[in-house]
Amino acid sequence: MTVRASLHSALLNRARKQGSLALLLSLQLAAMTVSSTGLLPRHVAGDLHVNAPNLHFLTGKSLSRLHDGAAVPFDFQLIIASGSKDNVVARSLERFTVSYDVWEEKFSVVRVRDFRRSGMRLSASSAESWCLDNIVIPTAGLPAGQQLWARLEIRSAESKEPLATTSGINLATLIEIFSRPSRPQQDRWSVESAPFQLSDLKPQ
Amino acid sequence: MELRLLSWGPMKLVLIPALAAFTLLGQSVTPVSDSGLQDQSSDLNVNSRYIIESIHFVDQRQYKLSTSALDEISRLVGAKVSSEALDRLALRIRAELRAHDVTFKLTRGAQPEAVRVLIQVDRAGGSFDASVPNLSYNSTLGFTGTGQLTSTIGANAFTLRALHDGDTLIERFSGIQAKYERVGLAHGRISLGFEFDGYQDQYSNSTIAALANSSQTSSLGAGAYGSRLNYEPSATFVLAAPLTLTVGLSFEQLNNLPSAARSESANAVINTLRYHRRWTESGDSTQELDAGYSLRAATTALGTDLAYTRHMAHLKYNYSSRTQSVEVTMLAGAIYGQAPLFERFALGDSTLLRGWNKYDLDPLGGNRLAYGSVTYGYHIMRVFYDTGSVWDQGKSPEAKDSAGIGVSSGLGVLEKGAFLVALAFPLRQGHVTPVLIAGMNF
Repeated sequence: MTVRASLHSALLNRARKQGSLALLLSLQLAAMTVSSTGLLPRHVAGDLHVNAPNLHFLTGKSLSRLHDGAAVPFDFQLIIASGSKDNVVARSLERFTVSYDVWEEKFSVVRVRDFRRSGMRLSASSAESWCLDNIVIPTAGLPAGQQLWARLEIRSAESKEPLATTSGINLATLIEIFSRPSRPQQDRWSVESAPFQLSDLKPQ
Repeated sequence: MELRLLSWGPMKLVLIPALAAFTLLGQSVTPVSDSGLQDQSSDLNVNSRYIIESIHFVDQRQYKLSTSALDEISRLVGAKVSSEALDRLALRIRAELRAHDVTFKLTRGAQPEAVRVLIQVDRAGGSFDASVPNLSYNSTLGFTGTGQLTSTIGANAFTLRALHDGDTLIERFSGIQAKYERVGLAHGRISLGFEFDGYQDQYSNSTIAALANSSQTSSLGAGAYGSRLNYEPSATFVLAAPLTLTVGLSFEQLNNLPSAARSESANAVINTLRYHRRWTESGDSTQELDAGYSLRAATTALGTDLAYTRHMAHLKYNYSSRTQSVEVTMLAGAIYGQAPLFERFALGDSTLLRGWNKYDLDPLGGNRLAYGSVTYGYHIMRVFYDTGSVWDQGKSPEAKDSAGIGVSSGLGVLEKGAFLVALAFPLRQGHVTPVLIAGMNF
């Protein structure tokens, strides 16, 4: 067990005892590597979208698995914090399954909780953009006039990792995935925005 | 809509309020109401529209897998890609081979809309395995068995066998086989090997008596040697999977001869062309074809004392459905020149012309062989009929027949190779003397 994992475990126990959601979230924030200000929020038709022009997750081991013809799921978590970075006021969780056509040499992306939403015959960067375009947070629930932070976390997942059941998508599993440290074999990325206010974003 | 919580124990203390908070905040995750929703990552693979053309191991090695695993592979060939099915197969192979990891990759097939599946077995820097590849008992010939140690380090495979065999040759021999194999060369199309064998040999009284009559052994290249050593470098080429060609050299030294020479050599060029394919046409039936031709040519160019050529062809076809099976085996062979005893053909053991005693048929074997066998199976019951002859050139072949009944199956740890318990009867006039045959993997 690494020092970070030990720290995480100790803090997690403390969080359980106190029932403190804030502590758990701050723990998670502390345990992650953050590249700051790479996330650009956008306001589109009542939803908050994000762009991350410098974030590329179709790389490394995940890309190798894709080129080998495997379907690789990616779990996304978009968090909005208000007042301080620890005060999470909204979040969106999605799983996207990416695959690579060995004949056409193009990527395909499917949003797992809605198979009808898919992107076909995409380049790597287009596939990445497609995922970001399909994770949104409604602006209606966000506090106006307050400073906000957006944060995006991405983890590659095992295709065998269960996510949905016969009765619905398992939200608890997605939360649990982002509540635990990533495994060594998992690729993970994290990026956050500079502070902003909703009024700063010009509706598109 | 249903949000399902797993059994996390204390974690619920944190996550239940968290879920409630997110719901109050109007978070955007909306579980879908489609009751048919599954985690269909396997079906979400864009390659699932392609047909699997073939499944092979990346390193082209012949891994020992259970019959049911081979059946599973056969079923997947010709079907559309299913990541779930391939993951299941990888897990199964991983368990059977006790590998660190087994993964697969898809590559373009020879035909459009078809893909090849390549299975990669990761031994995690090396593996070690001990097994008993075969063990049998014949009430006439006694026990035969092999113990095997294998170690794989990367693309290097080492095999050490200790064996005692009173079944397959005219001589009864005991000794060791040590083999090094370098696999996966030229993108898995070539493997190189070197084998060393050392045996001590014994003979039945009838063989010794027959050897004493030199007039009967005009085609025999050496007498009763007490031991033999073999050094055999070889290379195997995948011509067009599953067709392979093995070429090599065999430097065989026969020692402790009764003659003044004390030792003689039988150095030969060896060539084996083999085709082995297993396939499934419907969900329940499997077919397997194993055909091959081998040539051993001992020439003076290799400094041999015994010059001869040995030709051998075999064909084995098996059809198996859920309840029934049919297996047909045919062998033909011919030797020209003076070959030593270990090269000569014999029938009448635990696998060929079952029920007969090979020493009764010909205590020195023959230089001509013709053989056929049919086995019918219903569930675990087996009935078989064997016919064949060994003879020497210039003599008339005399066909011998036998029949038998038994049970055969693969169970549990024996699943990788079926065991057989059978009573075999030589069909001859006058009397019937059954022979008990029992064993596994032979």
